[in-house]
Amino acid sequence: MIKIVIKDLKLFFNDKGSMLMAFAVPIALITLFAFAYGGVGKGNKSNKIVLQVSDLDNTTESKEAIEQLDSLKSIQIKLKDLEDAENAIKTGEASSVLIIHKGFSDSLMAGNVLPLELKYDEAREIEIGLIQQSLIPTISMLPFRLKGSKNVIGKRLVKMTGTTDLQTQQSIQNQSDNLYDVIAKSIVESSQGNDKIKNPSSGFFGEDMKMTKIIKAEHSNRIGLVQAVAGTSVMMLLFSVVGIGLGLLDEKKEGTLKRLIYSPIKPGNILLGKMISANIMSILQLFIMFLFAWLAFGLKIGSQLPGMIITIVATSFACSAFGVFIASFAKKREQIQGLSILIILAMSAIGGSMMPLFFMPAFMQKLAAISVNYWSIQAFFDVFWRNLSVTDSVFLSRILILLLIGGILNTIAVVLFRKNILKLV
Amino acid sequence: MPNVSNIHTLNSIKKHSAENMIEVKNLKKSFGDREVLKGINFSIKKGELYGLLGPNGAGKTTTISILSSLLIADSGEVFIENLNLRTDTNAIKRITGVVPQEIALYNDLTALENLMFWGGIYNVPKQELSQKANELLQLFGLEDRKNDRIKNYSGGMKRRINIAAALLHKPKILFLDEPTVGIDPQSRNLIFEVIEKLHHERITIIYTTHYMEEAERLCDRIGIIDNGEIIAEGTLEELKKNSPVKEIISITFSGMNNDNYKKLRSFRSDIKLTENIVHFYTSDAKTELPKLVSFCNQAGLEFNNIEILKTNVETIFLNLTGKQLRD
Repeated sequence: MIKIVIKDLKLFFNDKGSMLMAFAVPIALITLFAFAYGGVGKGNKSNKIVLQVSDLDNTTESKEAIEQLDSLKSIQIKLKDLEDAENAIKTGEASSVLIIHKGFSDSLMAGNVLPLELKYDEAREIEIGLIQQSLIPTISMLPFRLKGSKNVIGKRLVKMTGTTDLQTQQSIQNQSDNLYDVIAKSIVESSQGNDKIKNPSSGFFGEDMKMTKIIKAEHSNRIGLVQAVAGTSVMMLLFSVVGIGLGLLDEKKEGTLKRLIYSPIKPGNILLGKMISANIMSILQLFIMFLFAWLAFGLKIGSQLPGMIITIVATSFACSAFGVFIASFAKKREQIQGLSILIILAMSAIGGSMMPLFFMPAFMQKLAAISVNYWSIQAFFDVFWRNLSVTDSVFLSRILILLLIGGILNTIAVVLFRKNILKLV
Repeated sequence: MPNVSNIHTLNSIKKHSAENMIEVKNLKKSFGDREVLKGINFSIKKGELYGLLGPNGAGKTTTISILSSLLIADSGEVFIENLNLRTDTNAIKRITGVVPQEIALYNDLTALENLMFWGGIYNVPKQELSQKANELLQLFGLEDRKNDRIKNYSGGMKRRINIAAALLHKPKILFLDEPTVGIDPQSRNLIFEVIEKLHHERITIIYTTHYMEEAERLCDRIGIIDNGEIIAEGTLEELKKNSPVKEIISITFSGMNNDNYKKLRSFRSDIKLTENIVHFYTSDAKTELPKLVSFCNQAGLEFNNIEILKTNVETIFLNLTGKQLRD
């Protein structure tokens, strides 16, 4: 029995492929996922969420308010023109914009409702939730932190009661002044680490911020559904196309590749044939995935059909090129199996197939751009969520990048195939 | 004005005999430091069935691989039906059929689907291809199994389809690289019959094998190849006639060491030893055998078995190389 154990262990440790799958691949994936989802690499610094701010009021008070927001640990303010900011949301570059409308200063001083509006992409609801959590207390406290705030609070309370009696108004103002002193003291204590009163005026001005969805769910596609269908389909497609690419190595092993070379068919055409068949199968696979999502989960395709077709074709082109590329530099199927799993899982993790990108640290989000998954999923979001038209430059740029990835990988595959073809047989 | 390459091709065509379907001149090929072909020469006439006979590793498959454009020779020239293999590769590919040593078929396709595919890549029109595929299936006795997947076929049946796949485009020349390796006698006989039929139809065939019986039965002429060189060539009768050895006395000794071997060499110096078997080449075994037995008895050499082998390809090969074909 011991001899069998020793023999099996020897076989295992002598098998490089098994070793790779047992140790190297999981270690690499753990490292990757730790960076992507585990917050590793951020140190003690929290990951700041970017908030675009568009200041239409452009007054001392509005600038002071922006400074207050910028001092928040969890938010990084980016000042932008409203149009640019809205475009950035539409294209998925940013999640939201806080608009300080004209009249902010006057409203603040008069104790009126503050003309603040947060326009956002509903697709990024978790990110928006985090922004809201940070913004509302700060906006609520704005009157307390701005100059002349004592007077503002009194006026606000008078407005809230709706009284016209001057004596009553004065009485409210006096009580407000006392209350202000208590609250101001609590703010100081709170900032010194006393957590008894964290948010004394919540509800005072907290509801002043109007929430507006820039990309609304009016098309009825649930964001989670789009994420699930696009993310999973692209990841599984990559696994399929690697299988198709590996078919080349099977042909070598079975001798059919040699037989093809005996025939008048040009070696380049053998690879071209593989590429075309991989493309057709990829397109079919993606169509069936989206068809299933339509039938089973009610994914609204309707007017999005042209965009969906374009995205499916571009994704299939890029993914099948990846499959052929992987196969073209390997000499044995075993060489590529472990490596392809690693590459696909890595691309899927950083590219947003497994989880939405905003969960990841900023550097991982930038890294996402190297994956096919990212461009494809973003293009599907453009179609099914952002409702971009097929002529929209943002959508077209993503399609172009997918085609470019496909073109480059195919070119490398052709070169490697030609170089290796005689060695293969 | 004709360009240089055209002049070269024209001159080359003039140089070689118009009768020859295949002409191989000084063909050399090395893999790294290993010289696999050391300048082989042979020519094959139209309709001839030429056997390339040699043990494993002799250079048979390398020769076929070069003739079928899978490999490029380091030097030398090959002409097939007046076409230069280096410059007219595609034209040559269209008139040749190759049956590789391995079963190069798609296991998950049916026999008919395989044939339709392999014929299709030679651009055989669909209707003609379908007719030809069914004819071949009938010829190879597999018509009733044509819709079965190849993976469900026996080894012999796969071999038959492997040959059929090379015949769909009606090649003028057929390269058969050890087409009967590892098959049952029934399939082997069927394959022989098909090859004989193709030979009768005047298809030029190169047949590589290390089975002398196959070479003797099928081939018009035989080229014996060993260590990358053709060491003898001719019809079976020519080979026999030209061989100085008419018979081989093969004695299996119970124990063979250097001393015993030296004793035997004192009797005859041209003996060859393979393990415990010593081969004595002779033109007259009847006269030679009593002398040899008497010598062994006197020298105290014990033997278990004596065989007298009549001249055949095997004995000729043995005489030429000291090795057996299946070594």
